[in-house]
Amino acid sequence: MALLQISEPGQSTEPHQHKLAAGIDLGTTNSLIATVRSGKAETLADANGKHTVPSVVHYVKQDGSDELEIVVGHKAKEQQAIEPGNVISSIKRLMGRGLADMDKIKEFSANKLVESESGMPGVVLDNGIEKNPVEVSSDILRTLADRAEETLGGELGGVVITVPAYFDEAQRQATKDSAQLAGLKVLRLLNEPTAAAVAYGLDTGSEGIHAIYDLGGGTFDISILRLQKGVFEVLATGGDSALGGDDFDRAIAQYLVEQAKVESDDRRAHQLAMIKARDIKEALTDTDTVDVNFLDWSGQMSRDQIEEIIAPIVDKTLLSCRRTLKDAGVKVDEVDKVVMVGGSTRVPLVREKVEKHFKVPPLTDIDPDKVVAIGAAIQANVLIGNKSDDDMLLLDVIPLSLGVETMGGLAEKIIPRNTPIPIAKAQEFTTFKDGQTAMAIHVVQGERELVEDCRSLARFELRGIPPMVAGAARIKVTYQVDADGLLQVLAEETTSGVKADITVKPSYGLSDDQITNMLQSSFSHAEGDMGARMLREQKVEAARVIEAVTAALSENGKELLSEDEYAAIQSSLEQLNQTSQGESIEAIENAIEVVEKNSNEFASRRMDASIAKALVGHEVDDI
Amino acid sequence: MANTQQNYFELFGLEPNFFVDQKDLSSKLKRLLQSAHPDRHAQGGSQQQMLAMQKTTRLNDAFAVLKNPVKRAQYLLQVEKDLDTTKDHTVNDPEFLMQQLELREELDTISRQKDASELMGFAEKIEQMSEQQEAELGDLFQQNPWDLDALKVSIYKLQFLHKTLHDIELAEDKILD
Repeated sequence: MALLQISEPGQSTEPHQHKLAAGIDLGTTNSLIATVRSGKAETLADANGKHTVPSVVHYVKQDGSDELEIVVGHKAKEQQAIEPGNVISSIKRLMGRGLADMDKIKEFSANKLVESESGMPGVVLDNGIEKNPVEVSSDILRTLADRAEETLGGELGGVVITVPAYFDEAQRQATKDSAQLAGLKVLRLLNEPTAAAVAYGLDTGSEGIHAIYDLGGGTFDISILRLQKGVFEVLATGGDSALGGDDFDRAIAQYLVEQAKVESDDRRAHQLAMIKARDIKEALTDTDTVDVNFLDWSGQMSRDQIEEIIAPIVDKTLLSCRRTLKDAGVKVDEVDKVVMVGGSTRVPLVREKVEKHFKVPPLTDIDPDKVVAIGAAIQANVLIGNKSDDDMLLLDVIPLSLGVETMGGLAEKIIPRNTPIPIAKAQEFTTFKDGQTAMAIHVVQGERELVEDCRSLARFELRGIPPMVAGAARIKVTYQVDADGLLQVLAEETTSGVKADITVKPSYGLSDDQITNMLQSSFSHAEGDMGARMLREQKVEAARVIEAVTAALSENGKELLSEDEYAAIQSSLEQLNQTSQGESIEAIENAIEVVEKNSNEFASRRMDASIAKALVGHEVDDI
Repeated sequence: MANTQQNYFELFGLEPNFFVDQKDLSSKLKRLLQSAHPDRHAQGGSQQQMLAMQKTTRLNDAFAVLKNPVKRAQYLLQVEKDLDTTKDHTVNDPEFLMQQLELREELDTISRQKDASELMGFAEKIEQMSEQQEAELGDLFQQNPWDLDALKVSIYKLQFLHKTLHDIELAEDKILD
């Protein structure tokens, strides 16, 4: 933990060291990993030259053995038609979701879903194995990371993982959890359309208002951005986190199932219908009619026919576009460019309808399958510190309003959707009974007025409020959203200073302990070495802290601190120096904490001074 | 010594004033964020990242206040006169109260009829009233000394019109559904 080293923005402390970073597009149907090599962002291929990894996992368990073999990608996909009961696909649809949300997609899933201990849906395989969505995603992430580490010949220092812009808190947190479980350091969760805009903007140097239309396998996003001098400013974002190309397949499969008069509980036949539907959809991208044999039914299907089937789904996406333009305060004819992202934008009807809506031909110059991963790789390269003289900056927003439950089951908005992040907002509440000593806080997300129509994110209690008459307590609830779009909530009774806070973990998610346990069970530590290593690391950390703070003090300590403040920092540094000669990990840790506490205000003033500099020296440009 | 926290105007290098050039404000925000945004401190330690998040949060907050004429006016009165105008509205202006009631009724009627073009026309009317009100508020802030009671009422009127515009948007959402 480097302390007080407020380096100039974008400047790497070790300029010559190129660190390995990657961008990961963790998709519903396919996933990709990309990296920047020799200044160029590109997706990485496997030994057979294939870039996309199907987001499909096959869990192979031999009879009588405890060994579990995990197969991810093309090989797993091939097994889907052979033993669908041991293969998991489209897991992204289940991320951050509870079993109750699953009704819509259950029918066409080959796997049985149960409620697991954590409240997450568990996928039960024919071989008896049960996997939750975070574990399955983590297996996909690990496979991608392995590919990158083999290709690049070293360990990844960090990754940027993309998520649909319309993903809520629970879905974002689940994504971050799966990366942690895969042993990856997440530099940033990046919204998919923003990533696509970065790839386009940097590739073509284009400026102005861009609409990013992103239709993937299971999610739809629309983002409106303003691109100007390397700043990518998201004006508004919208969409549907449960709408995508899979829905095209499902609608076509439904048609097939009806034609072949399949029984509604025949899971196998439904699964086959989905695979058939996908083939038909892809075939009709290039031709006008196709012969279809499905079970006992055979016939012909035309492009007109499937367009009629899928048109209502496409129209739903255009309604989202209209709303999002309105939120952005942008009229449709002010949109300079429309960028198409996601495999489902290959469907001709989608392109036609989007062009008609925005009145500009949509751009498809960069492969719609790869563009998100490429944008993520560019951002990862910047965040890891490889790029120094770059002004690229991404300013994103929260996709859905964050609120709190109030009397009568109403959701009161605390941070409205499309607010730029990071952001914090506070709201004051009070008690409604005499002598009330506790207050329940229910954090919700969504646009609807009733709590029951919003997504429940977390519940916690503020206890120990001193007894007062009703209405006298002042309970300040603060929401803080960080740059990943993740939320922390703090509640405080301001007359007494009683506090409670919570890092919002989704109701359907893993606790930190659960993740730690899962991680520990996958690594084995040599106990004896651990202590010695930790002591060594603490000493290194102490030395670094001393060096950084001393340098900061000599640079502008006299300027920014009072004599007392200066002396306090100085003395805590001496204390740390002495303690770090000893053998106690805990004592060193504590001494570092004291330095950190004493110097926090100093660090803050240093940063203020550095930010204020940004306003100076530019005035001439503006005239 | 930069001991006391800068107010929102100072953060943007501005004098406390109701008149703020929005284009200049937005370009300053971007320059400040180039330096403050957490992405620019991704290689710093956890303390530095936490500070960057706090500074950026404050800049975003300041921008939201200075951008919005109601919030900006309220903030200006708080900074300059230590006056909280965000609570306790007592407007003793029967004519305005009557107009307020009539406008609410008009919106209710249009919402019930689900008439999109009627709603657009209503929105334009309110937007115009809102612009006029903002100009009136600006005039009041140019007077010396400030007439605090008149300012309070003017801010409240503008706030009411903004709230009505917001409700029009909600009504439009309902018609779209």
